[in-house]
Amino acid sequence: MTRFIAQRLLAALVTVWIATIAVTLLVHVVPGDPVRIMYGSFQTTPEELEAIRVRLGLDQPIWIQYAKYLGRLLQGDLGRSIVGDQPVLDILLVRFPMTLALAMASLVIAVAVGMSLGFLAAYKRGTWVDAGAMILAIVGVSMPHFWLGLLLLFLFALTLQWLPVAGGDWMSLILPALTLGLANAAVLARMTRSAMIDIFDQDFVRTARAKGLSQTLVLYRHALRSGLVPIVAMLGLQFAYLMGGAIVVENVFAWNGVGRFAIEAVFARDYPLIQGFILFFATVVALASVIVDVAYAFLDPRIRYS
Amino acid sequence: MTTETLDPRSADADAPVAASARRKPRSFLAALLRSPSGLIGLVIVGLLVVCALTAPVIAPHDPLRMAAGPRLQPPTWDYWMGTDDFGRDVLSRILYGAQLTLQIGVIAVGISLTCGLLLGLVAGYSSGWTERVLMRLVDVLFSFTEIVIALACLAIFGVGLTNAMIAIGIASIPFYARVTHSVVLVEKGKPYFEAATAAGAGHLRLIFVHLLPNVVPTLIVVGTLGVSTAVLAAAGLSFLGLGAQPPEPEWGFMLSASRDLISRAPWMMIFPGLAIAVTVLGFNLLGDGVREALDPRQRQR
Repeated sequence: MTRFIAQRLLAALVTVWIATIAVTLLVHVVPGDPVRIMYGSFQTTPEELEAIRVRLGLDQPIWIQYAKYLGRLLQGDLGRSIVGDQPVLDILLVRFPMTLALAMASLVIAVAVGMSLGFLAAYKRGTWVDAGAMILAIVGVSMPHFWLGLLLLFLFALTLQWLPVAGGDWMSLILPALTLGLANAAVLARMTRSAMIDIFDQDFVRTARAKGLSQTLVLYRHALRSGLVPIVAMLGLQFAYLMGGAIVVENVFAWNGVGRFAIEAVFARDYPLIQGFILFFATVVALASVIVDVAYAFLDPRIRYS
Repeated sequence: MTTETLDPRSADADAPVAASARRKPRSFLAALLRSPSGLIGLVIVGLLVVCALTAPVIAPHDPLRMAAGPRLQPPTWDYWMGTDDFGRDVLSRILYGAQLTLQIGVIAVGISLTCGLLLGLVAGYSSGWTERVLMRLVDVLFSFTEIVIALACLAIFGVGLTNAMIAIGIASIPFYARVTHSVVLVEKGKPYFEAATAAGAGHLRLIFVHLLPNVVPTLIVVGTLGVSTAVLAAAGLSFLGLGAQPPEPEWGFMLSASRDLISRAPWMMIFPGLAIAVTVLGFNLLGDGVREALDPRQRQR
């Protein structure tokens, strides 16, 4: 098991390492002069632009820039933002708890709603329950996050006035989490149904039924347990999608997370902040996938030992 | 990556579709029309195309002219979907928006399909180190998620609808590369491929004459489903202000313009969102239908 975890961590490290190369290259493939693009809107003389170029190290060959970037990264220095001149890591760390809270709350909703719907549909395969659940799921998959968010906002915050429009406390977390959670529940319902149908068709479930075990026992001890394995395996990717979706949903509800800031950074062409965000995002997603893989291996011994 | 076979966006898009590319087109169409999702999907997508093509004729008002009508007018007989804060007709803007939406779908999917197909073919065919390095890279990019890759591209190119289409196209390349790769691996193991290799077929012949036609059915399914992803992503970017710019009648952008007026003019929010949702639903259903039509075994599920 230790070896397995080490392997997964190493793979995550490779991902983050490739991300560092990607973000270094990012500034270099910008058509035109990145310094001029970044500072173009400020009042700057050519001398000042040159000074900035030297300060950011953009006057040096790319491999030296990369080496220096890695060196600073190892000391936890992600550079300073252009707008506001603050340490990028501080900005990200201050806002990350907000994004994490949103992502976790949404994941809980997505798993609870999506898995039960998918399980029910698979169990009642071919009936109107199945058809209804799958129609609901495909409509859910097709709903844009931001539209669902606006509809919920219109209904619960503006018309019924049960919930706040924005804020920052847990009450204002409900709508964004519901938006992101329901959108992902639809995806999860489709996956769960398809995974459970595979399980229901397998010999050991048929055997369990044939030997006269009660329906509940067959469902919980045999089918659900092994059906969970492929679904857990998909949760890593699901989490990545949730984090991606959070970027949009945060903007709908003015939720002050990392994603909202990332959009502002793209607008302002604040490259240090964009680089920091991509690297941060890649790291979080990579770590989440390690956790999911370990959980997966824990559930299914075949993974650990192969 | 432990999620090789299942992608969250479509329960089993990765699963290779049976190689029935050479089946008669007529029986394919018949099979497509027999499945409820295929039929509904085809109708929705057909309607979208008709709206896009005939927008200049059927749109009751000019989509861009300001103050063409009263401002913030609720839906009436003259303005079926109401007017926006500039007095523009929402229905006309949505009809013209269909043109942009189709453009987004074609350009974005075109980019990701072409590049992903080539990458997947090369990686799957070459095997060994080339394959390992390429697919590892694809996996890493895939784990960055599409929205982050698209944001990075926009940070490079700058904002705008055309740039957003290209960014979305690039962002999905890893997904198409993975799908192609997995199909190529299956096809490579089949007897016909071994026979062709044994008969001395060259690399190009093996790739383009033998592998490519058998990858196409799966990619048609994935591409159709991919249009829905692309439309969603583009609308999302426009909603964030990174895609379409005023006064373009893009649906996501229209939604974003409605945000401050939701309680005063909910129609500005409801109809463009409905347009996006129905379009995306149409391509999702069509994709499901095409898959069923190409692979009858799926129909029992």
